[in-house]
Amino acid sequence: MAGFKKEKPASRANYPKLYASDPLAGFDEATREKVSAMEDYIMKNCLWQFNSRGWDRRKQNEGILGKTTKLLVGEEVENETPLEKCYWVDAVLLSRAFRARCAWLAGMGKDEVQALMKILHARIDWLTIDGSLNEELTVQNY
Amino acid sequence: MPYHEFDCSKVIPERKQHAVVKGEGEDLTSCLPKGYLNTIPGSISERGCAYCGAKHVIGTPMKDVIHISHGPVGCTYDTWQTKRYISDNNNFQLKYTFATDVKEKHIVFGAESLLKQNILEAFDAFPEIKRMTIYQTCATALIGDDINAIADEVMAERPDVDIFVCNSPGFAGPSQSGGHHKINIAWINQKVGTLEPEITSDYVINYVGEYNIQGDQEVMQDYFKRMGIQVLSTFTGNGSYDDLRAMHRAHLNVLECARSAEYICDELRARYGIPRLDIDGFGFQALGDSLRKIGLFFGIEERAEAIIAEETARWKPELDWYAARLKGKKVCLWPGGSKLWHWANAIQEEMGVKVVSVYTKFGHQGDMEKGIARAGVGTLAIDDPNELEGHEALETLKPDVIFTGKRPGEVAKKKRVPYLNAHAYHNGPYKGFEGWVRFARDIYNAVYSPMHQLSGIDISKDDYATDKGFVTRRMLSDANLPEADRASPLTGYTGPFDPIAALRAKTDADYPQFERKTSTQAAE
Ligand code: SF4
Repeated sequence: MAGFKKEKPASRANYPKLYASDPLAGFDEATREKVSAMEDYIMKNCLWQFNSRGWDRRKQNEGILGKTTKLLVGEEVENETPLEKCYWVDAVLLSRAFRARCAWLAGMGKDEVQALMKILHARIDWLTIDGSLNEELTVQNY
Repeated sequence: MPYHEFDCSKVIPERKQHAVVKGEGEDLTSCLPKGYLNTIPGSISERGCAYCGAKHVIGTPMKDVIHISHGPVGCTYDTWQTKRYISDNNNFQLKYTFATDVKEKHIVFGAESLLKQNILEAFDAFPEIKRMTIYQTCATALIGDDINAIADEVMAERPDVDIFVCNSPGFAGPSQSGGHHKINIAWINQKVGTLEPEITSDYVINYVGEYNIQGDQEVMQDYFKRMGIQVLSTFTGNGSYDDLRAMHRAHLNVLECARSAEYICDELRARYGIPRLDIDGFGFQALGDSLRKIGLFFGIEERAEAIIAEETARWKPELDWYAARLKGKKVCLWPGGSKLWHWANAIQEEMGVKVVSVYTKFGHQGDMEKGIARAGVGTLAIDDPNELEGHEALETLKPDVIFTGKRPGEVAKKKRVPYLNAHAYHNGPYKGFEGWVRFARDIYNAVYSPMHQLSGIDISKDDYATDKGFVTRRMLSDANLPEADRASPLTGYTGPFDPIAALRAKTDADYPQFERKTSTQAAE
């Protein structure tokens, strides 16, 4: 049993809430449609957004959607740790799927893509963390 | 909340919070049943106990181990041979089951000496097996038998044996899921890190949450080996006890059934920094993407692409043959835990069926989130269903086939709804590209079984044709098919009866040899 780190991050149960209502609600129809198409792909095909604890979902969403945004706008992605690399792997698949399914992405500028991905990130955080009905998200241990 | 109240459960009002119908515009913030709670008294649940979850699901698939239950023989009987987790060592763990056979007198006087005697006898009877797992049950937990102390005593007396103790008696959780949790944590606490493995590749994974049902693990392992990846351990199907002690040396944990095994992946990530990659081994698209991701992680994506191209070319036409004939068929997807989300989207996208209901016997709300996210509008989602609710749902939804366990499955048959075994499979393996076609074949055979048609005729009173012979599945399935589909020269699955035999016959020479980098480069 020697050799492993026993301490657990204090942030586990007490991750801060970010959204009190659906962050997509105030946007125009065209934006909502675009975000919904991306959300639909994630919900039907991905598993990374559903890790069992809220703090973990926050990290997953940020890690994978953050890297996906970089890939979509052609920025370099640094993977300094194996955990980062694992986020990147899901981000590569996601960015390819978005490019293949969301033809309108090609016509958008870098700033527009970043803004859209920010809304998508907020929406996924809402669905899987802040608005989630899953009562196990705040359990401290795995 | 779009709760669904079953007529039969009106007398148990709390049940209402355990079923929802996904309506138009609903999402996970408005549509999620309760989950992983104690079964409500009065509801005849289909769950197993926490001992069963620990032993039957996770412990026993380990192949080179004597698995012994400390308790009455009934507990053991219920966890023996009812699942098809085969192994490549002649199924030792399926053929032999061990129990201490605790009786009333032991409850009064204690059963520790009985346990020790049983352990020694079992090792003596199988001298080539040096590893053992011991499972606590309700009776021995309540009398306070100290299994760890006895195991330590035996290990001190016989230094060549190693014993793992699982303290997960039947009452240690609301369902078998409590036992999954306990054995995950017990294994990493007691055994991981106690053995150093031999590393033979630059790319090393643990394959976690995979139980080798009818050979699933062997199919996936074949893909990994073709990619030059070392599968250090499989948790736990066809897995070896000592390999699982070395899990801490993998570069990546590839997680299949998160329901039963995410805990050990999460702990390996927290304690050893090994990333967790969730995958789906079911369905062409999902499996292909899973292999791509593993390839990407190691910088060998082209090896994954080569396998995907080869397997897709071989098997996709046969899958499509079934898909044309299964289009629109209604399915109740009623497994235990993870298959509700593993299968929900893939069978709709690739086989054309419509999932009208998902349920989970022991899943958590997280499983329902995944299942409901992947299911379509109108899907009835049920947590911890009881038998009467199952009856009612079959009557209202009128599915063409259900995928579930054998107890509810046999009940469904009596209602003339064909069922496929979602836990142990009918003619698996179902994982892999070929396996997915085998699953489609089983669905086709179930939906179009002429026996089911005949079973609806009561010859004592119904009219029945006396001038027609027996119809075939093909006559039933092709009657309303478009001409182009009917003209296909294919006939469905053309693989062998047993696809695993050929995999087991392979030697190292049958796999590509890739040149190794230095260990520093590989880790980068
Ligand atoms: S609930 Fe207890 S007595 Fe019953 S099978 Fe499980 S461990 Fe044995």
